[in-house]
Amino acid sequence: MEIYLDNSATTRPFDAVVDAVCACMRDTFYNASAAYRPAVDAERRMRAVRGQIARALGAREDEVVFVSGGTEADNLAILGTAALQRKPMRFLCSAVEHPAVLEAMARVKEMGHDVRTLPVTSRGVLDLDAAEALLSPDTALVSVMQVNNETGAVQPIAALRALMDRLCPGARLHVDGVQGFLRVPVSLSALRVDLYALSAHKIHGPKGVGALVVRKGTRLAPVLLGGGQEGGLRSGTYNTPGIAGMGAAVEAFSALEDPCGRMARLKDALAQRLLAGVPGARINGPLPGEPDAAPHILNVSFPNVRGEVLLHALEGQGIYVSTGSACSSHGRKVSQGLRALGLSPQQAEGAIRFSLSPMNTPQEIERAADAAIAAHAQLSQFRRR
Amino acid sequence: MRELLLVRYGEVHLKGQNRPYFLRTLVNAVRRAVREIGGNVWISDSRIFVSDAQDMDECIRRVTKVFGVHSVCPAIEMEKNDFDAVCAQAVQMMRPLSGTFKVNARRSDKHYPIDSPEINRRVGERVLEALPGLRVDVHSPDHVLSVEIRDKAYLYVRCIPAVNGMPLGTNGRACLLLSGGIDSPVAGFMIAKRGVEICCVHYHSFPYTSERAKEKVVELARILSEYCGKIRLYVVPFTQIQMEIHQKCPDHYTTLIMRRFMMRIAERVARMDGAQALITGESVGQVASQTMEALVCTDEVVGMPVFRPCIGFDKIEIVERAEQIGTYETSSLPYEDCCTIFTPRHPTTHPKPELIRKAEEALDVSALTDAALQGMECIEVGE
Repeated sequence: MEIYLDNSATTRPFDAVVDAVCACMRDTFYNASAAYRPAVDAERRMRAVRGQIARALGAREDEVVFVSGGTEADNLAILGTAALQRKPMRFLCSAVEHPAVLEAMARVKEMGHDVRTLPVTSRGVLDLDAAEALLSPDTALVSVMQVNNETGAVQPIAALRALMDRLCPGARLHVDGVQGFLRVPVSLSALRVDLYALSAHKIHGPKGVGALVVRKGTRLAPVLLGGGQEGGLRSGTYNTPGIAGMGAAVEAFSALEDPCGRMARLKDALAQRLLAGVPGARINGPLPGEPDAAPHILNVSFPNVRGEVLLHALEGQGIYVSTGSACSSHGRKVSQGLRALGLSPQQAEGAIRFSLSPMNTPQEIERAADAAIAAHAQLSQFRRR
Repeated sequence: MRELLLVRYGEVHLKGQNRPYFLRTLVNAVRRAVREIGGNVWISDSRIFVSDAQDMDECIRRVTKVFGVHSVCPAIEMEKNDFDAVCAQAVQMMRPLSGTFKVNARRSDKHYPIDSPEINRRVGERVLEALPGLRVDVHSPDHVLSVEIRDKAYLYVRCIPAVNGMPLGTNGRACLLLSGGIDSPVAGFMIAKRGVEICCVHYHSFPYTSERAKEKVVELARILSEYCGKIRLYVVPFTQIQMEIHQKCPDHYTTLIMRRFMMRIAERVARMDGAQALITGESVGQVASQTMEALVCTDEVVGMPVFRPCIGFDKIEIVERAEQIGTYETSSLPYEDCCTIFTPRHPTTHPKPELIRKAEEALDVSALTDAALQGMECIEVGE
């Protein structure tokens, strides 16, 4: 039987999500912008989804902008801010951001802005002392992920906001919440987060849909131009099946009993078992149980083996994990994010990411850990001499 | 009047008494190539014709990949008796062109009242009158307007070069050792081009190499099958052998011993598949396992000819060929084919066969070979 532990890459949709998407495609396919009655119903259902997302984040319904996913949300937040600047400004992001942020920042740099990187500590969390030196009054935007996709480090958003209030009160804060949404509860209004990106397929929803939550009064220039949907901020016919599926996912996830606690216990068990079974294994990022450790991501460096080989060995037993983050497993280059933690090339090459969902069971975790321990014991004998 | 494809063949011309056999095979190969797009194929004195294909461009793409075809020319077929109409058609075909031209007439129908030099002269005259922008140059013209008088008249200006070689199946069958790299598909292509049918064997080292690496090899075989027709790809599990070698043999010999296993297994697969020779992508001196001494050591275990068509090529020449064939991009995908974990840091470049044989004594060669063949998978690729 398959054991899926790559939930940070994507998740299996809830049955309710599949049903909602199908129902929307089959029965209520209308263009939500049209003038007749069924279209109005479609719009009303979309508003309900806005409400669900807003409630889950301590935001307002009219702050939710539907987009195609995390990448578009990050692009819109960053490029949409940069396009409004009249003169060169400072843009900051952490060293361990997703390529959707890093590449957008590279574009911003090409536009002539002063783009700087906020370093992280060896635990993968933002180095606030270093950040203090970089937050200048001419800063336009600070972009930091809520939960790191590789290590599961939860970034100190509240502390960062406080620093920004003191050093660059005019700057806006963008949080990439793709890995954090619903798994690390957050209140955007309390933290005064201006922009927040989320993606449906990481919470058992459909692919191709997500949202950017834009705090009231935060102006953005659109990236996609066209029919003027979402108040002109995001043109393109509404992806009503995707949005319906995202709503169903938020609802089903929120209805689970203590999903975060459940995942945290599974992660803790997985870590304990691996550390006991694999001499020399090390956890990258905050340790399970520490306050800044996300409940669902565990990154472990296995000694004397390449993560890729271990991944395939586990794959042979129907256990799916990833090395680094899925987007970077194609190139042979060592993950940028893990490098930023100061790992040696060998440690970074031996890293495996296990990412959990509330639907995983203790039995699965036990089996996966034992399989990894056994595969490692066998493979590590065959290292290059 | 209609448009069709006139196919010219190359080396088959040189054949003597066997020519009808080669031609028949070639016509069948062209027929197979255009079957899916509804082409009608026939042969009429030393030309193959393809008519009624649904899509001319696709037809050209397919026929230029048939081994034995020298070039293909999209031509106009029309009645030959109204010579005036033939001239008018010539003018129409030359109208979009500029620069210099010549007419190249060929009168296969010796009863036709106008002979070749006269056709050249008259057609040329009409074109010059109608299109003052064109000039005649009989030595190195920009365009050659061919007018062939057979049962009908055939006119063409454009000729697209094809792969050449010999019709597939006229030269037996060989087994290609196909890795995921750049060289082996080129080697397979070159031998297949000489009319040799090929099957492929690939060594898969799961978990050291991934499913994606295997998919890549399937894709390479598929690209080759555009030329070679259906290909049987044998995927042999190789991890066990590599691990045993790694554990029991001296480091600097591991690569060569591995190569010897690959050759032994390939020979068994070849015999099973009815092939009489092996093909590898080796090029002398390219890597440690491809020095002269190393090749002697690998050949020692094989009892059939080993073709190495890339043997005298520089890497850059092999790359150029791979680009022409269309395998380069796929070969360059990053998935590993033979894992570096088993590559010694200092492989021997001047191996002694007797020392390799001695080192191999630590292994149960025939049991390992049998076990690998037991786990072999056969994938049919193409068409």
